[in-house]
Amino acid sequence: MTSISRRKFLTASALAVGATLVPFSPVTAFAKSDKKPDITGTIFKNDAPESLWKWSREVDHYQKLPGKKVVCGICPNSCVLAENDRSVCRSRVNKGGKLYTLTYGNPCAVHLDPIEKKPLFHFHPKSQALSIATTGCNFRCLNCQNWQISQVKPEAVRHYEMFPEAVVKKAKEYQAASIAYTYTEPTTYFEYMIDTARIARQNGLYNLWVSNGFINPGPLLELCEVLDAANVNLKSFSDELYRKLNGGRLEPVLNTFKTMHEQGVHFEMTTLVVPGYVDDPEMVKSMCGWILENLGPDHPLHFLRFFPRYKLDRLPPAPISKLTEFRNLAMKEGIRYVYVGNVPGHEGNHTYCHNCGKLLVKRTGYHIPEYNLNGSHCKFCDTEIPGVWS
Amino acid sequence: MKNTNDRLISLVVITTGISSVVTQLLVIREFLSQFNGNEFVVALILFNWLLLGGIGTMLAKMAGKGASTGRLSGLSLLLVALSPLELFAIRELRAIFFLHGTSVGFYPTLSYTLLTIVPYCLVLGFALPYSLTVAEKLIPNYPGTRIYITDNIGDVTGGALFSFILVIFLKPFQAIFFANLPLLIAAFLLMPRPKRQHAVFMTAIAASLAALIFGLFIERPSLAPREGKLAYYEESRYGRIEVHQAHEQYTLFLDGVPLFSSQNLTLAEETVHYPLSQLDTVDEILIISAEGGIMKEIGKYQPKRVDYVEIDPRITEVQFRFDLLKKIPALNIIHQDGRAFLKKTEKTYNAILSNLPEPDTFKLNRFYTDRFYELAKKHLAPDGILLFSVDGIDNYLSDAQRQKISSLYQTAKNQFKHILMLPGERIFFLCRDKPLNPNIPKLLAKKGIKTTYIKGYFYGNITKTRIERLSQEVMTDAPVNRDYAPNMIRIMFSEWFTQYASSPALFIALVIVLCGIYFIIITREEFVLFSTGCLTMGSETLVIFAFQIFFGYIYYQIGLIVTVFLAGLLPGAFFGERLRKRGRQVLIFTDAILIALMLFFIASIYLFGDRLPQGSFLVFGFAVAIACGCQFPVALYLRGSGQSAAIQSFSADLIGAAAGTLISSVLLIPYVGILWTALALAGIKIASLILIRTGHDIHIQT
Repeated sequence: MTSISRRKFLTASALAVGATLVPFSPVTAFAKSDKKPDITGTIFKNDAPESLWKWSREVDHYQKLPGKKVVCGICPNSCVLAENDRSVCRSRVNKGGKLYTLTYGNPCAVHLDPIEKKPLFHFHPKSQALSIATTGCNFRCLNCQNWQISQVKPEAVRHYEMFPEAVVKKAKEYQAASIAYTYTEPTTYFEYMIDTARIARQNGLYNLWVSNGFINPGPLLELCEVLDAANVNLKSFSDELYRKLNGGRLEPVLNTFKTMHEQGVHFEMTTLVVPGYVDDPEMVKSMCGWILENLGPDHPLHFLRFFPRYKLDRLPPAPISKLTEFRNLAMKEGIRYVYVGNVPGHEGNHTYCHNCGKLLVKRTGYHIPEYNLNGSHCKFCDTEIPGVWS
Repeated sequence: MKNTNDRLISLVVITTGISSVVTQLLVIREFLSQFNGNEFVVALILFNWLLLGGIGTMLAKMAGKGASTGRLSGLSLLLVALSPLELFAIRELRAIFFLHGTSVGFYPTLSYTLLTIVPYCLVLGFALPYSLTVAEKLIPNYPGTRIYITDNIGDVTGGALFSFILVIFLKPFQAIFFANLPLLIAAFLLMPRPKRQHAVFMTAIAASLAALIFGLFIERPSLAPREGKLAYYEESRYGRIEVHQAHEQYTLFLDGVPLFSSQNLTLAEETVHYPLSQLDTVDEILIISAEGGIMKEIGKYQPKRVDYVEIDPRITEVQFRFDLLKKIPALNIIHQDGRAFLKKTEKTYNAILSNLPEPDTFKLNRFYTDRFYELAKKHLAPDGILLFSVDGIDNYLSDAQRQKISSLYQTAKNQFKHILMLPGERIFFLCRDKPLNPNIPKLLAKKGIKTTYIKGYFYGNITKTRIERLSQEVMTDAPVNRDYAPNMIRIMFSEWFTQYASSPALFIALVIVLCGIYFIIITREEFVLFSTGCLTMGSETLVIFAFQIFFGYIYYQIGLIVTVFLAGLLPGAFFGERLRKRGRQVLIFTDAILIALMLFFIASIYLFGDRLPQGSFLVFGFAVAIACGCQFPVALYLRGSGQSAAIQSFSADLIGAAAGTLISSVLLIPYVGILWTALALAGIKIASLILIRTGHDIHIQT
């Protein structure tokens, strides 16, 4: 047997012991570290169709730049498009130095929905809304439930031909009380929406905006003139999460809420509770604080239950107790009307008077078996309930 | 000394084979749990594995002069250490590269699988020809084929060990530990005695052992969910089962995908009440796989018997343990493949409820084909009803979804007079020979059955107009989905690519260009070996998919199939070695046999399909492997002696195998079905045959 010197032995032993620890090094900690990606969309270079089509028109909000470039003014993405470029939302293209929308009069989804489905709980309950959408969205939400139309180009879908007059006519035909601009992001088909909304208002129909709230103040103010109600997503109360999960930013959305509040538009807010992301009570507490300070206690807030969808499909559904916890927390903070959605039979589906606490509107899904309001007042204590009631 | 070296090198090669096959199978399972488990992903993993192995083999060309047993020993220790670290890296790096909770598309999967297996596969590919170099240096006239045969012995042992012992009794890191210990010992023995006490060697041994032990401690912590806790974890033969607890909610995950939670009322109500509300008599019900909460809803009809078929006993155990399913009096649990059960049973049912995930793999597609619907119909009472469902729509049916529902509709329509599609989060297909009523709440009210979701939401979510529009979307010319021509898989792939706004075109184009360049630079003999590797892996893929199509879950059998193919290569190589001097004639003869076998395969599938016994697929695989195995020593002999020739031959075989996997899994089977794929593989061999017959300039070594 070959002999080994003490020095060699000690060196070898030290190395051997050290080597055994190598795999236990902070690799794990590194692996669990949180990165901060931003999935904000990018413009599509040289992606405009060869020629414009029947459902195109020049947009209302944009600026021309030197060299036939344009900057879109509809949302905070502020897409700067060279000739033949396409916007982040996929609906707007620069042709010949002018900005055109490709989604005017070509909805790909047209349905009649209960207004509770939007969800709008404090605006003409039991009424029906003709709901329309073209393709397009300025966000890239990983859990989008309408990704087949929100994340595709207008040319890639089958669509109806329904110019503004026809939409209004269809709503009348269906005896709908309102027209909802929904499913995808209606801000991206702003011109189609606002033209339809103007005609709808002339015809006694309400206009509902179901949106992510990522819109510039100018177009929003214009929209508010014809808007009757809105449900706007407050996806989280963290700019980091907005960038990470939605490809958006928080601040412009908060500004939208402030503007709508100032303009007196009835709106309700929706937050999807996503396990591992939007499930921090402290964040919800901060969110409620901001709402109370800037919008007051009267705008209803909906916490929706997350289910795995689209690209965010390896998470569990949100636990119901988490939604209950958030509802209780928001009400404790001072928001008067807090609802729980996507949970059939939950107490948070119903409306209770903020003054006497009695049941005002009992909801079994979209069905309302019990309704205890006189006009807009509680039947029991006569307190005025915020909202637009029948 | 010569004999000792010979034995030790052989021992290292065999144990490397054992370690590599077990690691490969565990890596595939791990990737299936971390990513979408469709055939594209499996093909990508195998392709990357073989390609990197081929590159590693080519790199061995550079290791001629300094080759020694000591370095081979070190290389083997590196493999031992890399094996658990690779598995760990696959689990842990996902959270760094991708956002937690998200699934990813084709190119990220391709990049990730490539990146995480690079170190292991390059070293593995390098090791085999390096062993040959060392052997040739120490033992004059050492035959290259011997390494090939020895490696095969290790591979077969590894495959058998995995299939019959490790996968049944051990968790992944435990399996890695036991599969690598022999290599660790072999590496130690191979190191010349005087060098065993060298500090560097001792360090290497300790580090390798530590890596193996590290795996044993990290198994469960590396699977802990970020939200909630891991309430249960089990590696069943069929997949990874996890139960995550978040507050009071338990969610069952299979291969990383949430199947259902304890609080999902909606799907349970829809699955049960849509079909059962249509029936006057609800006595006998068959459930193929179960949705959470389904039993409670079924209990409302007080059936006399509920047969619940679930292939994996672990799944049912977990469902009842965590209250995901309720035990009802009439319940009878059967642990068997749903389709196999239907094939054997004599019973008839009032309703068959198929609660399976999307038909995005071959094993699932077989529950959405004409044969399955035919089988279900045979076991339904005259007024009985079949229910199945696919992912639904909220507001718009994409082109891929439209093709999917149209194909399913036309497939089911061949068996049932009436089909009602109800839209929603899932699209439910109710199939029956009697008329169907879409007004479910009304039917339930008549029966006095109370529901929460259906009562409150049905009329808002599933309006008459939505039902009518969905029916109008059905294309009358949509193709029927068949077992051997799985139209649905192609559509699901297309939907998958659409979801991630990508296309495999760029990748396929790149592969074609690289193959073209490769064909220009290789010799005829190398092309024969390329085509042999291509056919071996192509037909292995074919058998794996055929197995899935006809017999269902492959998770367990995949090891058996791989083992059978490897086992066939061994006697093939033995015959080849004995017959090598007949050179070209042997290649022509074996090519002809391979072509005949592929044609025989086509005829058998076409004529008998799922009536073929399972063993026949294994016999086919074994026969193909014998013929392929026979060609390697012959081609190597024709190619000439020398390290460079051997390495290029090994590379050609591996690169051909990579191409065969990719072409058959990604290009051919999903788009043209297994019959045309078999024909295409026969075509590749016909090309090889022509090349050999016309190649008079082949060098025959004497």
